[in-house]
Amino acid sequence: MSLRKETVAMIREYARRYPSAQSAIIPALWAVQHEQGYVTAESLAEIATHLELPPSLIESTSSFYSMFLTRPEGRHDVVICVNAPCGLRGADEVLAYCERTLGIRAGQTTQDGAITLRSTPECLGACGGAPMMQVDHRFEENLTSERIDAVFERLRTEPAPHEVVKPKAVAPVKGEKARSGVEGARPRARRTQK
Amino acid sequence: MAVVTDQVTLTVDGQSVTVAKGTLILDAAKKLGIEIPIFCSHPKMEPVAVCRMCLVEVEKMPKLQPACAVYVMDGMVVRTRTEQVQRYQNGVLEFLLANHPLDCPICDKGGECPLQDQTYTYGPGASRYDFPKKHFDKAVPLSDKILLDRERCVLCWRCTRFSAEISGERELALIQRGKDTIIGTFNDQPARSEYQGNWTEICPVGALTSRQYRFISRPWDLDRTATICPGCSMGCNVHADARHNRLGRFQARENLAVDDGWLCDFGRYSFPSFQREGIERPRVRRDGRLEEVSYEEAMAAAAQSLRRAGPATAGWASPAATNEELFLFQRLLREVLATPHLDHGRGRGEAATALEPDDAALPIADLERCDHVLLLGGQAVIDAAPVLHLRLFKSERKGVRVHRVDDARAALEAVPAEAQAVGIVSSLGRKPEVDSLQGKLARKVKGSVRRLLVPDGPNGRGATDLGFGPGRGPGYASLDGKAGRARPDWEAAGVRALYLFEASPLHDFQASGEEREWIQRLETVVLQRPRPSPLDDLAHVILPGRAFVEKAGTVTNMEGRVQRIRPAIDAAVVRDDWKILQGVAQALGADWRYRDPDEVFADLSRAVPAYRADRIGERALWSERA
Amino acid sequence: MPQTELLETALEEARAAGYIGRNVLGSGFDVDVLLHRGAGAYICGEETALLTSLEGYRGEPRLKPPFPAVKGLYGKPTVVNNVETLATLPHIVRNGPDWFAAMGTPTGKGTRVWCMSGHVNRPGNYELEMGTPIRELIYEHGGGIWKGRSLKAFQPGGASMMVLLPEHLDVGLDFDAIAKAGSMAGAGAMMVMDETTCIVDVARRLVKFFEHESCGKCTPCREGTYWMANLFDRIEFGEGKPGDPDLLLDMGYNIDGRSFCPLGDASTWFPRSVIKYFRDEFEQHIVEKACPFRGEREAVA
Repeated sequence: MSLRKETVAMIREYARRYPSAQSAIIPALWAVQHEQGYVTAESLAEIATHLELPPSLIESTSSFYSMFLTRPEGRHDVVICVNAPCGLRGADEVLAYCERTLGIRAGQTTQDGAITLRSTPECLGACGGAPMMQVDHRFEENLTSERIDAVFERLRTEPAPHEVVKPKAVAPVKGEKARSGVEGARPRARRTQK
Repeated sequence: MAVVTDQVTLTVDGQSVTVAKGTLILDAAKKLGIEIPIFCSHPKMEPVAVCRMCLVEVEKMPKLQPACAVYVMDGMVVRTRTEQVQRYQNGVLEFLLANHPLDCPICDKGGECPLQDQTYTYGPGASRYDFPKKHFDKAVPLSDKILLDRERCVLCWRCTRFSAEISGERELALIQRGKDTIIGTFNDQPARSEYQGNWTEICPVGALTSRQYRFISRPWDLDRTATICPGCSMGCNVHADARHNRLGRFQARENLAVDDGWLCDFGRYSFPSFQREGIERPRVRRDGRLEEVSYEEAMAAAAQSLRRAGPATAGWASPAATNEELFLFQRLLREVLATPHLDHGRGRGEAATALEPDDAALPIADLERCDHVLLLGGQAVIDAAPVLHLRLFKSERKGVRVHRVDDARAALEAVPAEAQAVGIVSSLGRKPEVDSLQGKLARKVKGSVRRLLVPDGPNGRGATDLGFGPGRGPGYASLDGKAGRARPDWEAAGVRALYLFEASPLHDFQASGEEREWIQRLETVVLQRPRPSPLDDLAHVILPGRAFVEKAGTVTNMEGRVQRIRPAIDAAVVRDDWKILQGVAQALGADWRYRDPDEVFADLSRAVPAYRADRIGERALWSERA
Repeated sequence: MPQTELLETALEEARAAGYIGRNVLGSGFDVDVLLHRGAGAYICGEETALLTSLEGYRGEPRLKPPFPAVKGLYGKPTVVNNVETLATLPHIVRNGPDWFAAMGTPTGKGTRVWCMSGHVNRPGNYELEMGTPIRELIYEHGGGIWKGRSLKAFQPGGASMMVLLPEHLDVGLDFDAIAKAGSMAGAGAMMVMDETTCIVDVARRLVKFFEHESCGKCTPCREGTYWMANLFDRIEFGEGKPGDPDLLLDMGYNIDGRSFCPLGDASTWFPRSVIKYFRDEFEQHIVEKACPFRGEREAVA
């Protein structure tokens, strides 16, 4: 068992938050990815244990969604949207520029382990700011070569998001059981305030 | 004023049909003999409508509708063979086959494959898909029993739904999504389910196949025999499929009252134990050596030795022997040799626990109609009859409260006083506890309390019913003070000769070390058995008989259902066991003239009126006992 | 800032102000809002898939009926609202329904936010009265087609909707009018394409999107989007065959209306509409064995 105590506490808290522990699967996967940067089979099994659910169910759910990584990659996740609206404004060229600049192909990680570059046909939801990329789940829109250069420059030295902030224990909630989940989720939101 | 009714009338392809409300279009059409092709739909699972094979036209509905998931409505007009439907059926099969490997020539499912059959009936002659096919893993060992071919899989969800809805184990699941979707176990760990063989039967393609049956036969080359599984006292109905007189597989032969269409892996994959390797001749020990002789010589030799021992003979029969055999054997022992020492208890010198008719008072299917079921002993009971778990899980899904408890006090507490119908399921070994629990429950609850005990072997129930034990005669008749001794007491009772009748490698004598030493000292050991046995070197006479899958007769399952077994493979010159028993009796001077097992059954029925020839397949009627 | 954090912050503020939580504003009424984050699946925009996902399963749509209002989340009656609805609600509550209904057209009341992307000078989100002519959205608010080019086509309602042409510029932005013109207002995402656009490539990207987002539950969508994506790839990259456009149309027949949910159906609408209006461009790709627009791609700014 490799998850931190705090993460396990969060997972257990999620299980209480919903009428069915199963609803806690996706929040639990996020908690694990937040701690470790990705979700391994061992973590899936651990989630299953804490939620008292069959592990096949956890894998079935986690593998369905595109945002859970299954193995360690670069410290930073850069995803270029190549769907139609971005394509109309040069997403292919942005991707080519990124590949050239980083010296890797989409799907690969830079030698220094700083950046994993990917492209996706999945609309990331910033069509009005095309071309765009998603950097560690934050949007960079209206991309130009200068803008891309600046982002990469920053990422070269920045630690991975899951290394910056560690999950905290869920705050105990006084007097409220059924609703505790909502408050219980608060530290997560506060934590990421810079 | 409209008459309120729970029937609706609809039209399918111009024919009118009246069915109950809540019927699916698919089943209404079936009632008219109209077949709508399906892959994902399964009568025992919730509709999912994922394969989209069964789409039909329904008047006033703009889109084609899935017949497997849409319920009938009064006045509905359904068309299953319009041009639109047929063109679409071509299309959906083209989709299903686009990335299918089309390796039918080397696929075990070939010849009994719904995908193959429906492609012939409803599919296009050729595919327009001219890209390289998607590749997935082939022949993935899901366990030591099952191979998974992910290229052949059409993602109908039947196996995953079985895992969720029928066995409840949730071992198989869908992984990934979209075009990358596959089925599998968590992290590719070996599947542990006891019910995996069912996956192969419900798979509508060759994705899930049995390793045991791999490349064994084409379905049309199999000789199919309707018989009963030799695995346990559940009495699941099976097809025993043989090719060139060798068993290839067991498949489920649905009996809603017993197995509900499912088998466990222990039973399904037990058949290799029954493969006959060559033909044996009877043998008699002369000067310390076993010599081959004719059946007549061997039976005469057995009779001669047994006559000497007479009432000091003990007889043991396997709980896998047929009712007919058991009836004859107990006659031979009681009437001809005048010995009261009979037993069918297995397992290291144990006596068989005496059952009563009431131990089968709760029919298997009635578990679904209880409101509380106590599984006293939990998994140990399931291990003795694994298909019971599927029935209990089904019952739970229907709202029955199933309590898995290990002690009688917890069991008593688990059931509330207002319970209407309580069932107790346990193993034979816990009979005293069950009896006392039933008494207490009967006083506690308003409703009925019935029990179902799981005996040992496919005919442990029949062995007791027919009096193959020391305490009671056929039909539980009193022995008027002439009760014999049970297996553990035979030595103390001065038994000098032993007649052992084994009938199945799954349910043989299993001598303990002490017993072996005792047997070694006996003056006579007659061994009638279907295949070489560890007791051979102690035997004075060996009479080769037939195994469970090689003979005709009846066996009685745990709920008292008398079912027919039939020979699936021909044991050729190896003699039928009932004939051997009659031969030995005749050699001892008895005037027996049975010509076939049916005549034995007729006699048996006179002694045990609960067993009736006109009710084979039904439960024995003990309430009509004289 | 990721939207989850924005929303969490907003919820905290609301909770602190007593707008949600126990005893809202002293009314004795309890209500709370729980933010449940998804994990990347477009299909969860389908209401039953959303519920399945909330229950922790794979986001696969469910059979309807029963509809969510009868049997939804955890089997209980459930109202599923889009963000668009919720965002409009406060204004209607504040200003009254008459105020809202006074805007727009008789068949499309109020306002709507349009997300305009593609080849306009000022892409972005614009809230307009229903019925506003498309021309006004593109040429006034969007500042017209970029680089002084002319309009080739536009898609008025999001990734699935049928293409419309310059001749449809005077159609009003409301559901009925756009439907009458042969498309749908859908999600209100307006994608604008200039004269240099390879329409085959746009369709290719959209189809690949649907292929990526198909949940895999039903055969027509799972296999059909994969096959269509393969066909579009080969046409765009100069390996198309003469029968390919017709094959695409026929596949549309076998997917649209046959899929389990609208995702599969919708994957065919844009491709089929562009084959109708721009068949010659498909032929050109196939005959010339190359994309005729390849030279005109945008460089990185």
